[in-house]
Amino acid sequence: MISSRHLPRRAVLKGLGATLALPFLDAMVPAFARAAQVHAASPTRMAFVYVPNGIIMDEWAVPGLDGAFPLPTEFPRILQPVAGYRDQFSILSGLMQDGGRAHGDGPGDHARAGASYLTSAHPKETAGADIQAGVSVDQVAAQHIGGQTRFPSLELGCEEGLYGGNCDGRYSCAYSNTISWRTPSAPMPQETSPRAVFERMFGTADLDPDPVRRARRAAYDQSVLDLVLDQAKTLQGTLGATDRRKLDEYLFSVRDIEKRIVQAEQAADVAPPELARPRPGVPQSFIAHARLMFDLMTVAFQTDMTRIITFMVGLELGNKVYEEAGVSEAHHGLTHHRGDAGKIEKITQINRFHVEQFTHLLERLSTTNDGDGTLLDHSMVVYGAGISDGNRHHHHDLPTLLAGRAGGRITQGRHISYAPETPMANLFVTMLSYLGVEKESLGDSTGRVAL
Amino acid sequence: MTSRDTATSGRLEPSSNALTPCPTTRPSRRRAAALATAAFWVGLASPASAQVEPQDSAFAAHIRPFLDTYCATCHNDDLQTADLSFDRFETGTEASAAADVWNRVAERLRAGQMPPRGRPQPPADAKAQVLAWADGFAGAATPDGAPNPGRVTARRLNRTEYNNTVRSLLGVHGSPADEFPADDSGYGFDNNGDVLSISPLLMEKYIAAARSLSRDAVFGPPLPDEPFQLAHYMARRSHDADGSLDDADTLPYSMRGALYGSHLFPWTAEYELRFRVANYRQRAPRPEGAPRRPRDAPPLPPEQFLEEMRLAAPPVPVVATLDGEVFDEAIIEGVNAFGYERGEFVTRVTVEAGEHDFRVSYPHIADIVDPRENMLPDGRRVMYIDYLDIVGPFKVSPAPPASYDEIFICRHQPGTHKESCAGEIVTNLARRAYRRPVAAHEVERLTDLVTQAQDAGDSFEEGVRVAVQAVLLSPHFLFRIERDPGAASDNANADAHLISDHELASRLSYFLWADMPDDELLDLADTSQLGRPAVLEPQVRRMLADPRASALVDTFAEQWLQLRNLDRAKPDPARFPAVDDELRHAMRRETDLFLGAIIREDRSLLDLIDAPFTFLNGPLAHHYGITGVTGEAFQRVELDGSQRSGLMTQASILTVSSYPTRTSPVLRGKWVLENLLGAPPPDPPAGVPPLDVAAVGSTVSLRAQLEEHRANVTCAVCHDQIDPIGFGLERYDATGAWRTHDGPFEIDDSGTLPDGTTFRGSLELKGILRSQQDAFTKNLTEKLLTYALGRGLEAYDAEAVDAITQQVAAADHRFSSLVLGVVESQPFRMRRPE
Repeated sequence: MISSRHLPRRAVLKGLGATLALPFLDAMVPAFARAAQVHAASPTRMAFVYVPNGIIMDEWAVPGLDGAFPLPTEFPRILQPVAGYRDQFSILSGLMQDGGRAHGDGPGDHARAGASYLTSAHPKETAGADIQAGVSVDQVAAQHIGGQTRFPSLELGCEEGLYGGNCDGRYSCAYSNTISWRTPSAPMPQETSPRAVFERMFGTADLDPDPVRRARRAAYDQSVLDLVLDQAKTLQGTLGATDRRKLDEYLFSVRDIEKRIVQAEQAADVAPPELARPRPGVPQSFIAHARLMFDLMTVAFQTDMTRIITFMVGLELGNKVYEEAGVSEAHHGLTHHRGDAGKIEKITQINRFHVEQFTHLLERLSTTNDGDGTLLDHSMVVYGAGISDGNRHHHHDLPTLLAGRAGGRITQGRHISYAPETPMANLFVTMLSYLGVEKESLGDSTGRVAL
Repeated sequence: MTSRDTATSGRLEPSSNALTPCPTTRPSRRRAAALATAAFWVGLASPASAQVEPQDSAFAAHIRPFLDTYCATCHNDDLQTADLSFDRFETGTEASAAADVWNRVAERLRAGQMPPRGRPQPPADAKAQVLAWADGFAGAATPDGAPNPGRVTARRLNRTEYNNTVRSLLGVHGSPADEFPADDSGYGFDNNGDVLSISPLLMEKYIAAARSLSRDAVFGPPLPDEPFQLAHYMARRSHDADGSLDDADTLPYSMRGALYGSHLFPWTAEYELRFRVANYRQRAPRPEGAPRRPRDAPPLPPEQFLEEMRLAAPPVPVVATLDGEVFDEAIIEGVNAFGYERGEFVTRVTVEAGEHDFRVSYPHIADIVDPRENMLPDGRRVMYIDYLDIVGPFKVSPAPPASYDEIFICRHQPGTHKESCAGEIVTNLARRAYRRPVAAHEVERLTDLVTQAQDAGDSFEEGVRVAVQAVLLSPHFLFRIERDPGAASDNANADAHLISDHELASRLSYFLWADMPDDELLDLADTSQLGRPAVLEPQVRRMLADPRASALVDTFAEQWLQLRNLDRAKPDPARFPAVDDELRHAMRRETDLFLGAIIREDRSLLDLIDAPFTFLNGPLAHHYGITGVTGEAFQRVELDGSQRSGLMTQASILTVSSYPTRTSPVLRGKWVLENLLGAPPPDPPAGVPPLDVAAVGSTVSLRAQLEEHRANVTCAVCHDQIDPIGFGLERYDATGAWRTHDGPFEIDDSGTLPDGTTFRGSLELKGILRSQQDAFTKNLTEKLLTYALGRGLEAYDAEAVDAITQQVAAADHRFSSLVLGVVESQPFRMRRPE
């Protein structure tokens, strides 16, 4: 099934250097061009970078209420690392996620914060059966424009899911393991291994060099997928309602793969990545891990593998020890400081440390060419948390940064203070429209925001 | 350590009244209460014969008055304390509709948390009456009295199950599912059907795994053109380096200089194992009391210099083992001033394909009490193993891999297969993979794939490989499906029914082994024998004696006791400088071996509380301060029980329930209540005014600081339960070592429980736990049943849990009696359609 315009592997490798490889499924062989691809008009990309357990708002907040203001000359401590990009991002304040609040349920603000952040829905309090949140904004976008890229979206993270015991109150760990939800009951798991992310996009190193053999195996792959799809459909017909829903997930996933195979065959030429294949596993250093993930995000946007990425710096309730930030206590434990100055200082250090890592993403995006501008010019990147005051578990006045110009639609370099209790979903509806996805509403949205 | 501490936000903001006890009762209720009280006392049955009567009259006579007297003062419509009001339950019928309210009521009453301290307390028999009522109707069968065994949602194999299953099915090695996203867990376990989902990301991984597994199984992993370096293993730079241990070639750090790990050898062949011994110079030893030699002193005479060097650097052995068997050993000599020779040792070893443990170390260092003696002031180790390289393969056998025989059961060599082989091979493969007999049309679709490959010009073996790939992606393989007769049709049978023998075989094998049913189980299912009591019990015993039953330790117990958090535990190196990765692994191993012994020796469950034995090696014994145990290998050790016995005083548990920098009596109390007694304390409510912690400096002990917690009645309600248990364990620091002082303060490890019982120290605490054996056994039953079923327990499971608990008590609490109780229970044997 390799069309004649696909070059034999050796010829391609000669021109392009040593880091190339082909994907794990023969049927998904793309063609690698000699030159980088140029889009007719650069598409807009969207990314969300999430930090857990709240922020010391005293060291984040900037002056200005109800309106748009220029960014201050002096940045608060936590935001100082990002000061160098002051004309490429804005601070947003006043947004809230009502879905994170208890509304009669038991304790579980962390689970609720994570599950509501991109869904603007109030998750159902359950430890196992029938988990239910909402459809997250990244997946809404993926449903509309995801078909134009190899991957509808990517979900990345630095921390693997917690297991063993309920994670927060009576909420299943499913709620705090991700912020991305394809359907109200289908959370999207994150990939935490940089190598795995790389290989999903650019293939493993051990594929057959012979294109004829590869073509034959691609045909077998297709037959195999046809067979298991048939099996699943027949099986589904014999099951009760709950079990049918489980099989639905299976069917959706197989069909998704098949769509991507078709797409890879028709895909335009893809420029090779300027990134060496990462080593297996997860880097020991958190800084190295985060930066590598940011590099991969940049490469994913650059090669148009996807236009929608979510990235969790850490999981909600995460108890990581950030020794590289000079803190030897665990994160979540510290955030319930109850006024202790020593703990507040340590959390501030952690918050600032996270922002420092984020600047690496801004640096990569703003220095990568993308047609008539940089990647950052054509993106919308949100950096934020689902909890503001981590000690009191507040879900209003959420700390939020918005970077990137979305192809010129967003003016940056400002502090925009929205009316208190403005739903975050209003921001999402606005962002979706910049992607060309017009939605009346999302979650608890009441309209759009001015950007 | 556990990532769930108690300081998460709580229920709805309680009204400000809730911080102090409610001042008045409501007048209308008061009179009714007084009238009913008389009837209440007259009508009270003795606790032993307390009957369950959900009818309205019983409710009006017994329960409603109790609520009025002891509960409704705060829990009424006006105050809505803790968002609960009993006002709406005027009649028994109304009460019966709110099962989970009564479950929580029973929990609080039983734990002595309600009514709160300082309020009128009900007499024991009145309380028992209400408890019996709450328990009784909450566990009612379905309205028409039919059994309700519940149902499990179709669930996919989780990562552990996938790894074990492909190894058993195909005879391959390795753990491909380690690349899959982490499984979500529900009700504490990662095999919960409702929570396990399939995403497009996971499907990609399944496809990638099916591709490489099918290739490895039929042809073996692809051979390189020539031998190359398969691995270059080094330890992390230091024991306070950040990050996980997942980086492939990076091994845990050992202050004692060892290098250890496991490696997957892809082929049966010869491999070259090269390791390098390294060291840094020590200072010259100085005889005691002798002054330091001045710099410009003349050099020592040769004999004296050599003598000092010999004392400082006596020859030491280095030992290298593979799966515990020595493959190389040497004596390292001192070579220059206060140093040792360094160098690489190379050995060729024949190794079977598969995962093998290796270890290179200086055995004598295991017997040094304090590992810091092997450290120089700048953090480098005096003696250590620098790296281990694995190079190969050499002299690979040209024969097909072992997995070939698992698949090609027709026993023909490659290239010599007959026409009929395809059907034979595929039928066997599909039957074992789908865990049931397969129909002719199912086999045909798979043999069609074999034919397709051959028609395209590929070999028969390649055709079989494609069939294997298809089987590994089939929903029949990935999901454990249980059928209900006529489920999708209109005249579906709604009664509970026994699951089929094949479904039972799968439930059994995934419960006890986290693996597919073996041929013996499948054969018994084929002949409809498995469900018969005379067959089932011996099979369970056989399975418990099988090595695969280690899954009960590695999978069930590690999740039940939250031991997986030990990987994430990072004791602060500044405070606990002698704790490195190797010691943490030793802690884990101790608990795993202990649990394994309980299961293998079919001991009483209560031994988990205080059995006076454990498994230690030299370093761990040094950590505990126990003498007489030396060497790197683990050995069984009898304890006198005064300081250590059972689970609660093992370092793994004590570390998991601490913070990186200090102990937490609250975390430990919560751990015991949650995991051993099944009485998890509720999370603290929101809106609690913060403690005036600033006023409490480091001049006050941790215990005194926590007493502040309990001065406030609202906090004390729960902390009276939690804190004493933690106090009883305070003589074990945040890494489980024994101590008598916390800084300058002598530790007071006495405690008082809510019911007034006092105790001092962990031994007496364990005695109290032992006296609560019913709660202990019931909790373990619930956890094991949840794990065995793959779903959370509901109110209708209460009957089954009680039956099992009684069965276990009658059998001296033997572990096998618990397993048999679970296997023979209704929820395990039966299923209710939707």
